[in-house]
Amino acid sequence: MVKKLTVVILTVLVSAMVFTQTITFWHTQVETNRQQRIRALAQIFEAQTGITINLVPIEENEILEQIPRAVQAGTLPDVIEGGISPILLLGSQGFMDTELNAKIIEDFGDVYEGVSRLMKAPDGGYYGVPFHAWVQGIWYKANLFEERDLGAPTSWYNILTAAKALNDPANGFYGLILPKKADAYTEQVFSQIALSNGARPIDRDGNILFNTPEMIESFRFYKELGKYSKPGFTSVPAALNGYLNNEAAMVFYSTYIMDDIAVEEVQKQRVEQFDPKLVENTGFANFMVNIRPSSFGEVVGLGILNTSDNKDAAEQWVKFLMSGNNYIYWLHMAPGGMNPTRSSIAQMDEFLDNPVLERYGKDQITTIISALDTVERFEFMEGEIIEEMSILSGNFVVGRAINLMFANDWTPQQTAQWAQKEAERLLGY
Amino acid sequence: MQRFRELSPLRKKEAVFGWRLVSPAVILIGIFILYPVLYNIYLSFFQVSLTPGVPNKFVGFQNYRELLTDPTFWNSFGITMLFVLITVVGSILVGLGVALLMNKEFPGRGIVRALILFPYVAPVISTVFAWQYVLMPLNGPLTILLSNLGIMDVTQDLVNNPNNAFLVVSFYSIWKNFPFIYLMILSRLQSISQDYYEAADIDGANGWQKFHHITLPELYYVIGSLVLLRGIWNFYKFEEVYLLSKEARTLPIYLYEKAFTGLPELGVAAAIATVLFIVMMVLISIYVRKVLKW
Repeated sequence: MVKKLTVVILTVLVSAMVFTQTITFWHTQVETNRQQRIRALAQIFEAQTGITINLVPIEENEILEQIPRAVQAGTLPDVIEGGISPILLLGSQGFMDTELNAKIIEDFGDVYEGVSRLMKAPDGGYYGVPFHAWVQGIWYKANLFEERDLGAPTSWYNILTAAKALNDPANGFYGLILPKKADAYTEQVFSQIALSNGARPIDRDGNILFNTPEMIESFRFYKELGKYSKPGFTSVPAALNGYLNNEAAMVFYSTYIMDDIAVEEVQKQRVEQFDPKLVENTGFANFMVNIRPSSFGEVVGLGILNTSDNKDAAEQWVKFLMSGNNYIYWLHMAPGGMNPTRSSIAQMDEFLDNPVLERYGKDQITTIISALDTVERFEFMEGEIIEEMSILSGNFVVGRAINLMFANDWTPQQTAQWAQKEAERLLGY
Repeated sequence: MQRFRELSPLRKKEAVFGWRLVSPAVILIGIFILYPVLYNIYLSFFQVSLTPGVPNKFVGFQNYRELLTDPTFWNSFGITMLFVLITVVGSILVGLGVALLMNKEFPGRGIVRALILFPYVAPVISTVFAWQYVLMPLNGPLTILLSNLGIMDVTQDLVNNPNNAFLVVSFYSIWKNFPFIYLMILSRLQSISQDYYEAADIDGANGWQKFHHITLPELYYVIGSLVLLRGIWNFYKFEEVYLLSKEARTLPIYLYEKAFTGLPELGVAAAIATVLFIVMMVLISIYVRKVLKW
């Protein structure tokens, strides 16, 4: 009897080990509360399908460095959640299953055209499925702007005028918080400034354009803003804390800031005092104009890799994450920051049934989501992908140029010259 | 030395038995040390492909030519040599000074001796965060202290400034690693016979003379070994530098960026590793023969 039982148990165990599928999922949601939600979703998925998800959280700034390491070690994931740069880097190297990603978009049938465009592969198909998206802009103390009769910081003139007028370092208050580190955040902020001046680092023909008058002008404006900025080279958390701590009148930030501004318990994780009036006293400039208007945003995609041995399971996982309540549960881990890329979900009452989204209201959320259709980035030009840009982004050329400009007090011309040479070196020109 | 075939049958058996005994170690060294080194040298002659299905392309010495004509490499090389010099000399001097102090009798010596080990035993990541905090612009306690002393401006961001980062990382490395030096020197100090000092007292030697003629010669080989060890470790030091400030731009950071950021150049990275290996081996052999005279 005992022998029979042992045989049965062993058979069950062995068959469970043989038939249980496991897929590896890389994601960039490293915060503890977000990881808890993702773990919960993975457990539900496993209970429903028997497929185990091996979750690997990776910092957004680190993901570009992890990819080549995983390529060499043969440990690439089955599915990756990442911004445009890592998805493009993987796609341009032939690692993404463009057909399967396209099939999923087609099966859904309601993914916004504007965000899908940013994941499109040049030779057909998609490098990834647009998963969620955010918009970047200037968040500002609207009450101070009203008191001083300053215009909303949407134009270069208004931004600089407000920064000068509100800068009061003697009392620990600054015009704005500006990133100056050699990282992705600095590139994101500079992108919007440069694009609003009609400047971009590289064009469709592969010409490097750092030393154009428009680009030099953009560096000059950035440096000028630096005079009225909170001292320091500034990381993303430092910028957020600075705004919440009432240390500056403006901050460049994505819509991820919305729950930090609105929800007491989220705000108190960052600063000691909760400011209940911060929501009504905060304005959002979601575009910028100098010679032309420009909006900046990021689409985070879910991509199934060519190297995956479990594509069927990977497809099920992607569809699971982007359907109904599972999708809403994911998006609500950062309300306002994570906006749906499927129109049917965006219109669901369950999606708007959230303390943060309610405070901002349906109109503002709809405005944010609609801005995704006009988002511009250095990697895209007139509907075409400029793949060389992912190499420049991966090496933080823009961030390093700005970092060196402030550290060495370089002129805008010197900065542009350095960036031009560095880009030429990296692209082998 | 006799050839194997000239040995007596018993000696032959002994020799074979000896090889059997050492063979596990030889195989392990071969797999875990020799193979990676040789594979790295092999890779340095290729343009390594990341695209599935595309093979590596043989490029001869092109990676080496590219590397040796790259000013960024030489800049990083210079910074690394300076980093090694500052951190090794700094940590030896601090370690030696603290060891000499801790060799004296005073109340509570045991507790103080244990506390000194704190920087070395604390995890790198926690000490790195602490340093980033105390050196924060405007509000960092050390920043405020240094600005009150008139040494620097309170708005300076020392850690993230590419011009200062190298110095901050060097000071951090000295602080983090001097307890190891202190521990080694202290253990040697405690084994120096008191008879020497008593004889020197009889001869009327002062403190400096005793230190110069007794303590230092007794510490010669310990300090020599520590310089060698710390030199090798700091030449390849990655985690402390990378975590505290990526702006320090030492060679291991440069190697890492070549290998793992943007569109990686693994062949060039392998060439850097090979050059580092050769430079290190040459420096070590000169040092061991001329200074340590082993």
